[in-house]
Amino acid sequence: MKTNKTDFKKGITIFLFLLPGLALFVSILIAPIAVSLYRSMYDWNGFSEGTFIGFNNYIELFTNGSIKFITALKNSMWLAFFSVFVQLPFSLFLALLLGRKPKKERAFLSIFFMPVLISTVVIGQLWLKIYNPDYGLLNRFLDAVRLGSLKHVWVGDVKTALGSIIVPTIWQYIGYHMLLMYAGVKGVSTDLREAAMLDGATPWQVDRYVVIPIIKPIIRVSVIFAVTGSLKAYDFVRILTEGGPFQSTEVPSTLLENMLFLRNRYGMGSTISVMLIFLCFAFALLITAAFRERDV
Amino acid sequence: MIMENSKALTVKETNPAVKVLMYIFLVFWAVVNLFPIYFMFTFSLKSNEEIFGQNIIGLPREWLFKNYVSAMNTGNMGLYFVNSLIVTISAIAISMMAAMMATYAITRISWKLNKLTNAFFMLGLTIPIQASIVPVYVVLSKLHWLNKYSTLIVPYSAFALSMSILICTGFMVEIPSALDEAARIDGCGLAGTFFKIILPLMKPAVSTVGVYSYLQCWNEFMFANVFISDSVHRTLPVGIKALSGQYTTEWGPIGAALCIATFPTLIFYLFLSGKIQESFIAGAVKG
Amino acid sequence: MKMKRIVSTLLAGVMAMSLVACTGSSAPADTGAAEQPAAEQPAAEPAAEPAAEPAAVENTDSSEPISLTMWCIATESDSNRHSYEAAIADMQAKYPDINFTWEAFENQSYKTKIKAAVSANEMPDIFFTWSCAFLGDFVEAGKVYCLDDAYENYKSELPEVMLGNSTYDGKHYGVPLTMNIVGLFANMDLLKQVGYDEIPGTYEDFIACCDKLKAAGIIPFGCAGKETWCVTEYLESVIEKSAGADTLNDIFLGKSTWNNQDVADAVDTFQSLVTNGYFDPSGIGLTNDEVKNNFMAGKYAFYMNGTWNCADFAANEEFKTKVKVGEFPVINADKSKLGQLIGGPSDTLAVAASSPNAERAADYAFELGKYICHYGYLDGCGLPAWTPYGDTSSVNELTQTVAQIVAGADSMVLFGDTAMSADSANTYLSYVDQVYGCLLDGTQFIEGLAKDIQ
Repeated sequence: MKTNKTDFKKGITIFLFLLPGLALFVSILIAPIAVSLYRSMYDWNGFSEGTFIGFNNYIELFTNGSIKFITALKNSMWLAFFSVFVQLPFSLFLALLLGRKPKKERAFLSIFFMPVLISTVVIGQLWLKIYNPDYGLLNRFLDAVRLGSLKHVWVGDVKTALGSIIVPTIWQYIGYHMLLMYAGVKGVSTDLREAAMLDGATPWQVDRYVVIPIIKPIIRVSVIFAVTGSLKAYDFVRILTEGGPFQSTEVPSTLLENMLFLRNRYGMGSTISVMLIFLCFAFALLITAAFRERDV
Repeated sequence: MIMENSKALTVKETNPAVKVLMYIFLVFWAVVNLFPIYFMFTFSLKSNEEIFGQNIIGLPREWLFKNYVSAMNTGNMGLYFVNSLIVTISAIAISMMAAMMATYAITRISWKLNKLTNAFFMLGLTIPIQASIVPVYVVLSKLHWLNKYSTLIVPYSAFALSMSILICTGFMVEIPSALDEAARIDGCGLAGTFFKIILPLMKPAVSTVGVYSYLQCWNEFMFANVFISDSVHRTLPVGIKALSGQYTTEWGPIGAALCIATFPTLIFYLFLSGKIQESFIAGAVKG
Repeated sequence: MKMKRIVSTLLAGVMAMSLVACTGSSAPADTGAAEQPAAEQPAAEPAAEPAAEPAAVENTDSSEPISLTMWCIATESDSNRHSYEAAIADMQAKYPDINFTWEAFENQSYKTKIKAAVSANEMPDIFFTWSCAFLGDFVEAGKVYCLDDAYENYKSELPEVMLGNSTYDGKHYGVPLTMNIVGLFANMDLLKQVGYDEIPGTYEDFIACCDKLKAAGIIPFGCAGKETWCVTEYLESVIEKSAGADTLNDIFLGKSTWNNQDVADAVDTFQSLVTNGYFDPSGIGLTNDEVKNNFMAGKYAFYMNGTWNCADFAANEEFKTKVKVGEFPVINADKSKLGQLIGGPSDTLAVAASSPNAERAADYAFELGKYICHYGYLDGCGLPAWTPYGDTSSVNELTQTVAQIVAGADSMVLFGDTAMSADSANTYLSYVDQVYGCLLDGTQFIEGLAKDIQ
């Protein structure tokens, strides 16, 4: 039976352990959210006095079609969809493959992670060269295989622009998720694997019934990253399409930046960031809940 | 009998066709992933004419090493590199320590609000960096805390925190709780258990958290652009961006600067990835 | 998206008309204020108090050492870098008692930076800005030091007409540097192939030339659809040469509505150029850097863009022999005429109201601006807003041609996207984008804009 004194001591320890993290977190991340919440109620250009307008920014965000918030959300959702259902399975596949200790495992691991380390500016330039309508590799390739009719102005065509963003985004971060999952795969004790093998399981069965259930928490983390990352996607949109053509590839972050620093609508920018935070958080909770349900 | 069985399995496992397929696939994927590095390197040695149309992916016709000279001299990349290094390493160290401590309090001490606290920290994953620039900037300027290394180190540590906690949690829950109990019986307090038992076992997390925090800090542009106004403390992403002009941009020196920013990282990463591997093996807890 | 350099209304050489522009410049800002009542607050910031103080000390009297800082966008690879360096070296030699430091930032990120700095009152003493709406928002917030007193000393060298775009409610807030207009650049090698030795002077001839080019398999125009400001360089010229400079100017300044049939017709004219296949269809997916390189590589016969390109074209030994610059021909001679141009001074230096040495900074900014303008003109970065001095015969031929065009100018209309308040300008750009993509016709364009921009 615990005395009050030990409870108190425990409380102090918890507090001290949380203190550095909380101090950083609250001052740099939470306080600005509070400011954003407050500013989202104002019509404010960022430097003059603002006017309180209640929830009008929120209403305008959804009703004013020229802001394109709905389009931006839809685009993020597509990106999230492909991240979760194409990128993550592929990352998992690579992680499992490397987990089987092929020769040169380390070299492969390092190489597969490299695109993540390279600046998006470089990757973006590379993909611009791939998509270029005149001398781009993709159109040249289509010409070479006699599929010239499939040629497109890839980033300038409403039909293909979003896809042109999704492909490089997914490709660059495959390694990112792979490394996370690989860490999990390596954490699975060799005894467990061997035991399963002795029971006559094939390597695929071992992965399916032993490894995957163990690394489930890591997969959950990856799914959360993939979805929140998609909602916050920014770099490739700026480099490849600038939100065009006709604002069809805007994402919340580009809208947010336009509002804050280009259109001088700081209040509306804050509204978008509040919505973004809310959505990310809601998705994170949803994903966590979905994973918990499966466990039961 | 069991021995034989296991031998038979080993034979089945090394089915040559599957193996060959697997290696073909791995090598193919490796080439796809190495291509950007080749592209970046050749890009850095070309002129605008070659980059735009004449020769987009071939080897440079003229090897313009002067792009590197101009990136180093006029672009001042050496200084910016050191600045980025100082800021990134400090931010990683601070956020990692804070994250480990917080994770310990959340995952290994049972108290009422630990789930909620964890959820609270996860909020950090959702915050777009653009949204916090102006509020943080206003506070920093009131505190006369601009144009220092710490101006960037503190926000970077904060932004890396949520991710670090998330990764640390994954690792820390793997550590069997029997270890804590054993330590407690040996007379270790909560704090003692953390420093003596848990922290040493978190080595595998260090490299992983380090790599992911690094990704957040090294290429960060928005804060670095707004908070730092003297070129003495400028970091690489801002320095590289400053190589493009209002109407004309020589892409060659930008490529050179990007190489300068990336290659040391790649080399360091290759070294570190060895560590990551070793730590996975060393840290693998037999369950 | 790069901000266009030229952003002004000025009726060249006609002083009295510049006053129209002055009051005009603040008009769109007022429109913005209707949406953002915030801006209606009078500029009564405490930070603005230095502005109210009477000029007590002349800069020449006070040689007490002070420090001044400046932010600008003349980065290492910017074509203006050399003129800034040369000008600052001159200034530092002349005023050793002023410890002058400066930092250059990349164009696009500078906008974020300066706006955040204005919000936090962390501006440097002197800062680079674009005139009209961009500076106007800061002026309305009371963050910019009024330059009226300092200007008295420079009246003889800087014509007041050049201050039109940085004048708000009759007060001057900016020191103009260089100015630029939209030029019609032509690759004469390609034009010769279809039998033209000069840029066609009439619209009919111009269209005939385009048809011949097209028949010969040469693309007449290159235009970067990914950066909408590049489309406006074409569209605004077409509107101006169809509906007239005054009409376009009044619309940009919010004095008349977009609901104007002439504009709708002009937009249709522009669109017919697109649908006739005069524009590179790939252009919609290209950046300006790519389009410009295509033009220099001989892919397009014409390239309409700012005259700041002169320096780059002239610097390319091979290309400079091929390229010529001219004016877009008149489409409707009843409403418009040659000499109606798009452009004016936009690059501006301003002084922060929060500067502790605002008064001396103001003098410093004027003199520095004069030198930057001087060296910038010699380098071919643009035309001088200040009266040129010294030997200017070394200026490249293209820039000299542009100088002649400007000398014969009848009127100049600012660029729409910078003349309008930031919010309206972006709405305008998204409409222009849709016109280029043929999603809207002229009538839909004017009706939509009349509805969305009040």
